Amino acid sequence: MSATTGDMTRSVAEARRRWLRMHGWTIGVWVLLAVLLAWYATLIPAFGSFTIASIAKNSLQTVYLAISQGVVVIVGGIDLGAGAMMVLANSISARLMDGQGFGMSMVISAAVLAGAALLNGFVGWIIVRSRVPDIIVTLATLFVFSGVALMILPSPGGGASGGFRAMFTGSAGGVGTNYWPSLAALVIPLAAVSVWLRRSPRGLALYAVGSDVNAAYLSGVNTARARITAYAIGGAFAALAGLAITAITANGDPRFTNAANGTLNSVAAVVLGGIALTGGVGSVIGAVAAGVILFILNPILTAMSIDPNTAQVIRGVLIVAVMMTAGLLEVRRRRTE
Amino acid sequence: MRMRMRRGIRWAAALSVIALIAAACGDDGDGGGDGGEEGPFTIGVSNTLVGNQWREQMICAIKAQARVSGVVDEVVLANRDTDATGQIADIEGLISQGVDAIIVNPADATALDDVIATASDQGITVVAVDQAVSAEDAYNVTNDQVAYARLGAEWLFEQLGGSGNVAYMRGFDGHPADTARDQGWDEAIANYPDINVVSEVHTGWDPSTGAQQALEIITTQDVDGIWTSGIDYPVVEQFQNADEPFVPIVGADNNGFIEQLIELEDGGLVGAIVTNPPPVGGVATAIAIDLLTGAEDHPRDTLLTPEVYDNVDDLDALEELFLPDLPQGFVSTMEIEPWTTYTAQDVLDCKGPGEE
Repeated sequence: MSATTGDMTRSVAEARRRWLRMHGWTIGVWVLLAVLLAWYATLIPAFGSFTIASIAKNSLQTVYLAISQGVVVIVGGIDLGAGAMMVLANSISARLMDGQGFGMSMVISAAVLAGAALLNGFVGWIIVRSRVPDIIVTLATLFVFSGVALMILPSPGGGASGGFRAMFTGSAGGVGTNYWPSLAALVIPLAAVSVWLRRSPRGLALYAVGSDVNAAYLSGVNTARARITAYAIGGAFAALAGLAITAITANGDPRFTNAANGTLNSVAAVVLGGIALTGGVGSVIGAVAAGVILFILNPILTAMSIDPNTAQVIRGVLIVAVMMTAGLLEVRRRRTE
Repeated sequence: MRMRMRRGIRWAAALSVIALIAAACGDDGDGGGDGGEEGPFTIGVSNTLVGNQWREQMICAIKAQARVSGVVDEVVLANRDTDATGQIADIEGLISQGVDAIIVNPADATALDDVIATASDQGITVVAVDQAVSAEDAYNVTNDQVAYARLGAEWLFEQLGGSGNVAYMRGFDGHPADTARDQGWDEAIANYPDINVVSEVHTGWDPSTGAQQALEIITTQDVDGIWTSGIDYPVVEQFQNADEPFVPIVGADNNGFIEQLIELEDGGLVGAIVTNPPPVGGVATAIAIDLLTGAEDHPRDTLLTPEVYDNVDDLDALEELFLPDLPQGFVSTMEIEPWTTYTAQDVLDCKGPGEE
């Protein structure tokens, strides 16, 4: 009797340890985000609905990019073209939506998302078939998509309907105090993709392929389909980031620096969010928190009156510090086991 | 196991929701004053191009003017390399911080309309500096960028006797100042049908990019004159590197360029500066403070007309502007009468109110 209880306690403890090991990072990043939010609240005179709406809305871009890159990195790839896909979607949508109503804007959005998924799925297909490393093919798409964006919209311009802007920002003017639409725009796609990743066989296949492509293949996983699917989803989320920019600014901005910054932020969010660049490990939920953190550092550093030239350094140091802390915890855990 | 996993996700989600709700309990800020107050005031600054000497000086002029005004207790800088999307976020951050006035160097002329309107609704005075914004509630304090390009281009075309091949070295593609200068350039060139533009490039206002492009133009094209959007001394240096004879060149009031115009005058360099003074930031600060204290009312648009000095007729003026101890990229015009009340040393110190 007592022996059984002891076994059960042990197995419960063991399960808890395993659970913590699997999700420790994700929880850690969310705790870090909560701490940063609380800290920011003390730095400014009034942390009200305006500030929440601002953070939720302005985080959308990095959050979508984080999901986009996260899905691709989980399957063992990397998409350097993510930022360019974002800029391309932003340029196309801002150009087409200019002067259109809400209904037409929705049609354009759907077309842009579907087009981006197809296009990036095609990129995934090229990677699978040609066996050229992901980093090379997507480095090319970074330049190609940026160039196409400049062809479509040679200089910043375009527009968006008020209803479409409200969908992402909570108000027709893009600035306001209604934060629910932005929070919904943040949570719903995240929930959909993370449930799909963790619950559906096709989603789990991404993890299988990411951790060991040969083992996955031998156990009957369609590895080519998993990789192409990941790129397609990644493309759609990068395009969603572009649509969010269109909604926030009612403007398209085709410049290459935006594409490059977008890609760099997406990789930073993935790394900070605990998705291993080797593939197969991590969750998009962590990457999303990291995406919000990467945004919120800007107003925090501004509120702290930190010399702007040091702000970039602090951002980099934070990423390294988080990585090192996690690495140290991992080493200690291995030693105790 | 699966059960626990789900609970974990729920827990993390709950945590973030709690954080947000807890945060939401705070009151909304009341922004700032409506004018006619005594201060002390907080001034926010939003700038989207870092590591650029002109912008650095603009910010130092803002800090210096805020410091000598005596009614500003803090200048909050939202300063990073970003686009209109990031600038909207930065301005929202400044609004959250409860600043009384925002001085913004806009990344886009129209994209900031809504966020500026929001700031204005909360009683915050918004002054756009360097280039105008379309927002109705904003005050614009700008160097006349259309005139900047037109005056320099006309000097160049006259210098060439009305005909020849010119290189058009522009600024940052899509930037409002670049667009305005392009308009001035078009106005000037319309009157000179025999001027051919053989090369048009965007330097991005980056000295090393501009130097690269200049070298390419000098060595591959037959140019009689070069107009630059302020990336000037690197272009002159490329003539020296390539060992090519100088052609007439138009630049801005950069210290390095002025030095070249003075020293290389004997070597055959002919050129003109068109002033584009960064102390426009100080002017914007003076105006913002006037509006906050209610000391003086100002029109929506304040346009500062640039001046042209060449090393043919105005060598004395150039020698007066030249600052021997300062770097090449430093812009020589430090004060703008009657607006700025600081000294040149205040700008060099670059200290805001309360900074040691």
